[in-house]
Amino acid sequence: MIFRSLQHRIVIVFVGLLLLVMALVLALVTHSNSRIVGAEIERELAAGAQVFSLLMEQNRRQLETAATVLAADFAFREAIATQDRPTIQSVIRNHGLRIGAQVMMVIHPDGHLIADTQNIAPANRAVPFPDLLSDAESAGRSYGYRQMQDGRMYQVVMVPILAPQRIAWVAMGFLVDDRWAQDLSGITGLAVSVIRRDQTGVTVLASSLEQSKRAVLPAAVAGVVGGMPGELPIGAEHYRTVYVPLGKDTSVALQRSVEQAKAPFQALQTVLWTIVLAGVIVFSFGSVMLARRIVRPVNVLAGAARRIEAGDYAEPVPRLMSDEIGQLAASFDHMRERVANREQKILKLAYEDNLTGLPNRTRFIEEFNSLPPESRGAVVVMNLDRFAPINSALGHPVGDRLLSEIGRRLSLFQSAAILVSRFWGDEFVFLLRAADREAAGGFAESLIADLRHPFTLDGHRLDVDASLGVALFPDDGRDAVTLHRRAELAMYTAKRQRSGVAFAAEAGDEPLPEQLSLIWEMREAMARGEFLLYYQPKLDLAGGHVTEVEALLRWQHPQRGLVLPDHFIPFAEQTGFIRELTPWVLEAAVAQVAHWRRIGIHLVPAVNLSALDILNPKLIDHLRRLVEQHGLAAKALCVEITESALMEDPELALTHLNELAKLGLKLAIDDYGVGRASLAYLQTLPVHELKIDGSFIRAVAETPKNAAIVKSTIMLCHALGLHVVGEGAETADDLAWLRANECDVAQGYGIAKPMPAEELPAWLTGFSVRRWKQA
Amino acid sequence: MFSRAVCITALLLAGASTHAGDIEATATTVAGQPLADVAVVLEPVAGYPRGPMPTVTIAQRDRELIPYMTVVQVGTAIEFPNQDPFKHHLYSFSPPKNFEIKLYAGKPEKPIVFDKPGEVALGCNIHDWMEAYVLVVATPYFAKTDAHGRARIAHVPPGSYRLRWWHPRQKRELPARAIKIGAAPTRLTQALDVPPRIIKPKPPLDKDSY
Repeated sequence: MIFRSLQHRIVIVFVGLLLLVMALVLALVTHSNSRIVGAEIERELAAGAQVFSLLMEQNRRQLETAATVLAADFAFREAIATQDRPTIQSVIRNHGLRIGAQVMMVIHPDGHLIADTQNIAPANRAVPFPDLLSDAESAGRSYGYRQMQDGRMYQVVMVPILAPQRIAWVAMGFLVDDRWAQDLSGITGLAVSVIRRDQTGVTVLASSLEQSKRAVLPAAVAGVVGGMPGELPIGAEHYRTVYVPLGKDTSVALQRSVEQAKAPFQALQTVLWTIVLAGVIVFSFGSVMLARRIVRPVNVLAGAARRIEAGDYAEPVPRLMSDEIGQLAASFDHMRERVANREQKILKLAYEDNLTGLPNRTRFIEEFNSLPPESRGAVVVMNLDRFAPINSALGHPVGDRLLSEIGRRLSLFQSAAILVSRFWGDEFVFLLRAADREAAGGFAESLIADLRHPFTLDGHRLDVDASLGVALFPDDGRDAVTLHRRAELAMYTAKRQRSGVAFAAEAGDEPLPEQLSLIWEMREAMARGEFLLYYQPKLDLAGGHVTEVEALLRWQHPQRGLVLPDHFIPFAEQTGFIRELTPWVLEAAVAQVAHWRRIGIHLVPAVNLSALDILNPKLIDHLRRLVEQHGLAAKALCVEITESALMEDPELALTHLNELAKLGLKLAIDDYGVGRASLAYLQTLPVHELKIDGSFIRAVAETPKNAAIVKSTIMLCHALGLHVVGEGAETADDLAWLRANECDVAQGYGIAKPMPAEELPAWLTGFSVRRWKQA
Repeated sequence: MFSRAVCITALLLAGASTHAGDIEATATTVAGQPLADVAVVLEPVAGYPRGPMPTVTIAQRDRELIPYMTVVQVGTAIEFPNQDPFKHHLYSFSPPKNFEIKLYAGKPEKPIVFDKPGEVALGCNIHDWMEAYVLVVATPYFAKTDAHGRARIAHVPPGSYRLRWWHPRQKRELPARAIKIGAAPTRLTQALDVPPRIIKPKPPLDKDSY
């Protein structure tokens, strides 16, 4: 619509401007025309009147001269002098013919008529125009316009007949008729009418006007018919009129038709209107064409822009003329290509895992969100077992290549019903559309079966195992994040249970609202001092003394009672609350040990650091302050870090570990064996102690495979200069085995359960007594 | 007009220089200016004695008729000698003497006899401005005023007369008045209503043209 209106705007502006200019021209022309016509009529009238006056004067002179010459004719005078009326009568007729006068009169100097061509009978009649006679007596001759007995108008010239004294006057009358008026009209360019005005009204005596106009002239002159001042309406026309007086009651009306004067201008205006009309039509047509030429490519571009807006980059922008818009279109097309390329790259980056080329987490979530609501299916999380040892033993490049190979193999499962994606590290996630528990379980089994075929990299044969967690939707959750988390938890469960596959429904998980309330409650608990530390002794097997205690966090929940860390630490880590919790634990542990020292008990506390903690520079600063504040001696404080915590960001973790080592802290690797770290890797860290996971130690004496691992680990550790702690020593056999196999320290229910701080001194006393008794 | 037109005063005055029967006449305009070319005519009531008939001449000289005004007794012959080097065409349409002397040079063959009393206007057909007037009277007692407006009639026998004043341009004919002439000289004064002579335009003399 906007482009159509652009076209309209162009046309409207063009045609509007033309109309404006034309209207101005027309207005100007019309205005000046009427002014010119008015002035022209005035000028013509003035000039005509002047010409008329000159003609009259000239005419008068000619007539006077002619009359004078005639009156001087000897024979004429002789005839007059005879005083013989018939002779005189005939001579004036004859000489009247000669001069062209219609009326001739001979007048006695005393004023009576001697002869008259008009009326022969009455002799000695007084002259009909004594005024002319008296004029003639004083001036020698006279001239005037007089109406004769016949009712017609004559130019009358009166000259004396001299013999040589004046013996008579001769009056010659020249008819003032329509022809006369027409002749004058021809010369002056004006309508000429002789009008008589007296009591009886207005009479037209002669006129150059045609009969019809002449008939209405008296009424117009008399002012019977209204009209503009100075303009007489005659027939359909209007005549501007000036009057030239002729005699007493008579005058000549000189007239110019306003309409006739306007006619040429009317013609001009008609031509102008035609031009304006034709111009507007041509211009409209032209500007419509132009606007189309401009707007059409713009519309084409707009269409292309809309396609691109809708995400269709495939269709190229049409090539247009090589004008500015054409250039714009070309640029636009280049832009389209670049944007298309970039979008493809971005899509790839955004939705594809670089290493394996499988869809990534974002793509997974989008795919999940695009599922029809109320659809059923499963999310399967697969995590490799023992990937970290491979990674650290063979190096990251090999680890990456292994992941890439696994990805290639997994990609074979990619289908309309199954989305295979890699989230991070060695975690692959599958979206099974419309799969029930059975189908999902079957799929998980088939994956495990598939991975049993070993991989070969650079001649190394690599056996890969994986643990899988299955979450079903909508039973276990409705959104991708929840389902993934629950599947992941199930996967960890499977890993722990070494069961290969676990279902979220069995693995258990706090529902989300409870989790949220838990997080909120943790903050509250912190403020209310509901957290407290339990301590579990670590027994030096060689010396038989308890030298260290591991500080273990407990939550004295007002409703739920004592809550174990497994139930809230993961969420504290997820939410980052751990950053507040760990410093408190450290402070509390250091303060407790200082308290014991004052009552003569010398123990080194061990505090667990999570992955977030070890990567948190602020915590490192906090530990530094703690060491300085309490003047802690070297190895007076031990921190325990799980292998997996180190694996989040091995480089930063190493940097921080080095700083902690410099502070003189004792560093221990916790839960060794369940994670991914290899001894070769750990050996590169500034750690002093390795704590072998309880799953290896429990009933070690009865489990030759575990015994072999533990034995070799102890040997290796010692070779590497590391202390070895055996966790989860539950029985006296376990303890005896550890001691026999030169494990440095043991920890577990076999020695003591974690206990409140205040119980520890009594327990220590009891323990030394028991030991003494055994000894 | 009549009331203010004429005022006649006749005075008999004794004068050493005048003889018995001499008439001294003075003509003036209404304004009192001396008026020339006024005919003073005395017509004896008793009848006309026949007087000598001198030949009178009205010459054409320098395209003028000279004199302008002439008074003659009935029967007088008037010579019209042409003294110009070109011809004239003398004419008169006046009833007392209607005549025409067609183009002539020098002296015409015979003079024109003015045999009827009355006023005769003379003109030239080829020179419109030329004019002259002849008053033909029955009586031998007449005179014409000079440039001073004076005229003298000598040796008028005493008796009863009719006195007439006449001028060619007079506006109206003054009525004749009875007058007694005695032994003593008579002085007459008359004012006449005469407009000044309008000299008709006369083209300059060009030897080639005229």
